[in-house]
Amino acid sequence: MRSTKIVTWLVQAASLAMTAACFAAPAHADVDTDFANQLHVYGIYGPRDENAWLAKITCKRLTTQVDEDAFASARFLKTNLARTTSTQQVWQFLGAAVDAYCPEQTPTLHAAANATAETTTRERG
Amino acid sequence: MTIAPPLPVRRAVSRSIALGVVATAAMALAGVLAGPAAADATDDFPIPHRMIITTCDTEQYMAAARDTSPMYFERYMIDRSKRPADVQQQAFGRIHWFFSLDPVARRQYSEDTATNVYYENVATHWGNWAKLFFNNKGVVAKATDVCTNYPRGDISVWDWPVTP
Repeated sequence: MRSTKIVTWLVQAASLAMTAACFAAPAHADVDTDFANQLHVYGIYGPRDENAWLAKITCKRLTTQVDEDAFASARFLKTNLARTTSTQQVWQFLGAAVDAYCPEQTPTLHAAANATAETTTRERG
Repeated sequence: MTIAPPLPVRRAVSRSIALGVVATAAMALAGVLAGPAAADATDDFPIPHRMIITTCDTEQYMAAARDTSPMYFERYMIDRSKRPADVQQQAFGRIHWFFSLDPVARRQYSEDTATNVYYENVATHWGNWAKLFFNNKGVVAKATDVCTNYPRGDISVWDWPVTP
C-alpha cells in the first residue's frame, strides 16, 4: 500500500517535470518565484530563498552523485525540510526542484518510480 | 572656626567608610582565592563541547554537516573557495591537527583562542576558517549526532563545486 503511494507520488513528480519541460513558457519571470508558487500548491511554505537554495543543493547532490538516486534525495530532503513535512510533500518538493532547477535529472525520478513499481508488482505477485 | 556636622551625620559617614573598607577587603580576598579564569564554565565556548568530545574525524564530521546543515556547509565551502590556495591548505592542515587532539587538548586550544585573539595564526588570514566546525552549536550538534555513520578519511567531501 505504502509502495503504491510512493509510485503515485513519483509518477506525479516525474510527470510534472516532463509536462513543465514540454509546455514551458518561453520566458520565466523568476525561477525561484515559480518554484515557491509550486510549493504553495503542495502546502509547503517557509522562506522562499531558503527553499530555492535547498532545491538547488538537491540538484547539485544528484549531479555530483553525492545522492546516488531519487530515494537518497528524498532522505536528504526529509532531514532538511520542516519536521511537519509529510513524505508526500517531500516527493512533491523533489519533483518541483528537478523541474525548476535540473530538468536533466527527470530520468532519475523515472528510475525511482520504475524501481518502486517493480517492487510493488513483486510484492503483489 | 570650622563648624562640625551634627553627631548623627558623622556616625553615618563613619559607617559608610567602614562598609566600604570591608567590601574592598572582601573583593581583594576573592581575587586572591579565585582559580584561574576559564573562558566558559559550560565548556561550550568558543568551541562547542560536542566538537571537543566527538570521536569522528574531520571528513566524517564534514560529510555529516553537508547532509544535516547543507546551506551552512555550502556557505563555508563558497567562502573557502574565495581564499588563496595556501590559506585553504593551512586551514585544511590546521583542522586536521585539531581533530588529532584529545578532548583535554582541544579544550585547552578553545581556552587559548578565547583569551588571545592572535593565538590562531590561520584566523589572521581567514577569520572564518573554522566556521563549519566551531561557530554554531546547532550545526555541530546535528552533525556530531550522525557523523559516525560516515567513512573516516574520505577527503572527497572537500570537493564541493561552488559555481552555480
